[in-house]
Amino acid sequence: MTVPAGTISPTNLGIADAAPPRNYWRQVFHDTFAPTAARLGVAWIGVVAVLGIFAPLLANTHPILAKIEGHVVSPMLQNVTVPDVALLALTAWTIVCLVRRCSPSRLMLGALIVVPVAVLAALLLTHPPDVVDYTQYREMRRQGKIQWELMAPIPYSPYDFQRDIPDAELNAPSRYHWLGTDALGGDLLSRMIHACRIDLAIGLIATGIAVVIGIAIGGLMGYFAGWVDLLGMRLIEMFESIPQLFLLITFVAFFGANLYLIMAIIGLTSWTGEARFIRAEFLRLRRQDFVQAAISQGLPLSSVLFRHMLPNGIYPILITSSFGIASAILLESTLSFLGIGLSRDPSWGGMLNQALSAGGTFVWWIALFPGLAIFLTVFGYNLVGEAMRDALDPKLRT
Amino acid sequence: MPSTPNFAPEIPMPKPLLELSELSIGFTTGHRSIRPVHDVCLSIYPGQTVALVGESGCGKSVTALSILRLIPSPPGHVLGGRVLFEGRDLLALSEREMQQVRGKDIAMIFQEPMTSLNPVFTIGEQIVEAVTLHQHVGRNEAYAIAEKSMRDVGIADPHRRLLDYPHQLSGGMRQRVMIAMALSCQPKLLIADEPTTALDVTIQAQILELLRSLQQERGMSILLITHDLGVVAENADVAAVMYASRIVEHANVGELFENPQHPYTQGLFRAVPRLGVKASRLVAIPGTVPNPGRFPPGCKFHPRCALAASRASAAGAVQGVEVATDTGTVCVPKQCHATEPDLRETSREHWAACHYVAGYAKATATVPRSASQRATEVPLPVIPMAMGEGGAP
Repeated sequence: MTVPAGTISPTNLGIADAAPPRNYWRQVFHDTFAPTAARLGVAWIGVVAVLGIFAPLLANTHPILAKIEGHVVSPMLQNVTVPDVALLALTAWTIVCLVRRCSPSRLMLGALIVVPVAVLAALLLTHPPDVVDYTQYREMRRQGKIQWELMAPIPYSPYDFQRDIPDAELNAPSRYHWLGTDALGGDLLSRMIHACRIDLAIGLIATGIAVVIGIAIGGLMGYFAGWVDLLGMRLIEMFESIPQLFLLITFVAFFGANLYLIMAIIGLTSWTGEARFIRAEFLRLRRQDFVQAAISQGLPLSSVLFRHMLPNGIYPILITSSFGIASAILLESTLSFLGIGLSRDPSWGGMLNQALSAGGTFVWWIALFPGLAIFLTVFGYNLVGEAMRDALDPKLRT
Repeated sequence: MPSTPNFAPEIPMPKPLLELSELSIGFTTGHRSIRPVHDVCLSIYPGQTVALVGESGCGKSVTALSILRLIPSPPGHVLGGRVLFEGRDLLALSEREMQQVRGKDIAMIFQEPMTSLNPVFTIGEQIVEAVTLHQHVGRNEAYAIAEKSMRDVGIADPHRRLLDYPHQLSGGMRQRVMIAMALSCQPKLLIADEPTTALDVTIQAQILELLRSLQQERGMSILLITHDLGVVAENADVAAVMYASRIVEHANVGELFENPQHPYTQGLFRAVPRLGVKASRLVAIPGTVPNPGRFPPGCKFHPRCALAASRASAAGAVQGVEVATDTGTVCVPKQCHATEPDLRETSREHWAACHYVAGYAKATATVPRSASQRATEVPLPVIPMAMGEGGAP
C-alpha cells in the first residue's frame, strides 16, 4: 500500500512502528548498567562467578580425561563433589531459563527442583574417595603408565599440597605456579579460583538471609505501625548493639569454623539496615491509594504486603544488599585473616593470613593476589550499588 | 412504605441491602479524640443509588471507608453502631471473613484514579488477581472476565489495554479501569468515593453515564459519595446531606431538590450558580466547616446558620445568645446553642435535623429509610446545574 505524500497515517506519524514503552524495571536495569564503572564492577563479579562455578574444570590435579594403562577414564568426574554438581546444575538451569526467557518465578521454582535432583544424582552416582591421593598421577606419569591426558589449565587442586615434591612451599610466581605457592605447598592460583565459591557464597547467602529477615520484620513494622513498630524498633536496636565480629569469634570458638555457621551468623546479625529501609518505605506506602484499593478488593494480607507494596518499596534494599554482600565478604576475610575462619578450605582472607605468619617473613605474592581479589570484589559490588542507587533514586537524578 | 407522587411506583423491598445504624467513628491521637462520624443512619436498597453529600471534612469519606472497615486503626475506631450488610454485621466479622466481603460483595472506587492503580503491574494482572481470588477461576478464564469487564466500561481494544501499565493510560481511562476492576466480581454494592472529582467535566459526564447504565444492567446498589449537587441530581435516588459528622437532611432526590428544609441544604442550593441568572458574585455560606476537634455545642451549624440568625433577631435579644465565630459574633436562639436537633421525619419520607423546620416540634424521630427509586423515563424535576457540570439543561 502506498501512502500519498502529505496524508496523515499511522505509518508516517511513526506510531505503527514505535517501540512499546519500557517497563519500569527494564528502565532501571538499563540505567544501572549504563555507567562504565558499573559495567566493570559487574564484569569482575561475573568473572569471579564463572571462575567459582567452573573451578573443577579450571584448576584440578585430576586429569579431565586420561588413558591410563589402556583405559580411557575421567578422574575429574570420579572425584566430583556434590557442591560441584549442584552449582553446575543450577548454572545450566539458569542459562536454559535465560535463553527461553522464562519468568523469574519459574526460574526459582525450577531451581528448587533441579538442584535437589542434581544433588541426589551426585550422591548416588559419584563415589569420591575418603582420602584423595593427589600424588598418584605424578607417580604414574613418572612410571609411564599414562599414555595421554587432558589436564585442566591449572593442573593443581586447591588441596594438592605437593607432598611428593621437595621444597614446594613458598615458591615465588613461576612458569609452573603462576601466582606462586603458599606455606603448605598449595598452588595459590588454584586455591584462589576455588576460593571464589566461598567468598561469593558467603556474600550472597549471608545477605540473602539478611534481606529475607529484614523484609519480613521491616514489612510488618511498616504496615502495622503502632505497637508492632515500637517492638520491632527495639528488636532492631538490640540486634544493632551486638558486635558482629566478637559474636562470630565466640561462635567459632565454641562450634569450630563452619562455613554455614559463619554465613548464618552474618545474615542473622545484619538484617537491621534492611528492616529499617523497608519499614520506612512501607510506612509511606501503606497510605497510598493503590494499597487501599488492593485491600478494598479483599486481597489477603500476604498479597497486599508482598505483591503490591514490596515491588514499590524494594529499591533501597537492592542498594543496601549490594553493599551488604561486600561487607559480608570483608567480614569473612577479616575472620580468616585473624586465623579463626576457615582453615583448610581456601578463602581469600585465609590466604592473606599466611602472608605474614610464614616464618616471620613477608611473602609478597600471598599478600598481593588474594588482597587484590578481595579489594576488586568489594569494589565491584560497591560500584554496582552506587549505580543502582543513581538509577533508582529519582532525588539523586540531575 | 408509601411512595412519593413524583416518583415511579415503588417495588416492595422489605429489606435494605446495607444499613448503617447509629454508626459513630472516633479517632484518637494522644489525648485528643475526635468523632468525625456521629450516629449516622443510612439504608441502601437493592438497585438504589444513595448519595452522601457534604463539604470536605464532614465525615462522608470516613463513613464510606468504615463500611469496608478500611479505617486506619489505630488511630481510628468504631465508637458504636452497626453496619448490616444483608443482615450480617460487618463490624463483627473476622478479618478473614471481611476479605470475602471486600471486592466480592462490596467493591469500592476511589477519588484519585491516578494513584489508585499499582504502578508496577499491568492492568490485566491487577484485575485478574481479584477475579481469581473471588471467583475461583483459572488464569485464562480470569483474563477473559477481565477483558469482558474492560469492554463493559467502554475501553477500546481491551485485549491490548490489559497488557498496559497504569502510566500508559489517561485519568479517565484509569477511572474506567478502576470501575472495571470493581465490577469484575459482580458486587452487590459499589461504593464510589467522589469518583469524578479528579476528572475533567466531559470525562465526569461519561463516567457518571457509565455508572448509571452499568447499574441498570446489573441491578447493583451504589453509595455515591460526592460534594457535587449536579452529580446527585443526575445519578442518585435518595440523598443524605452530611454536615460536621451528622446527617442533617435525608430525602428522595426530587423532594430534596424541590423542597430543601435544613438551612444548610438551602445554603448549598443557593451557592450553586444558576444558568441564565446574572449574578456578580456566587452566594456562599459564611464561615468554614468546623474542625472535628472543636465542634460547636448544640446544633453544629448554628454559628453559620442564616435561619438561626434571622429567628434570633425576630425573637429579640432575650431569646438569643451571642456566639463567637471566625468572623465575629452572631446572635442565635438559645435552643440552637443548647440542644443538638435529631433527625426527624418532618414530612413524608423527608427527614431533617433543625429546630426551625416547619413541623419539627411535632415530628417523630424515626430511622430514615427510603426505598424509592426514580423511574428512568420520568423527567427529573427542575434541578440547578452545579458548577463544573457540562452541557445545557
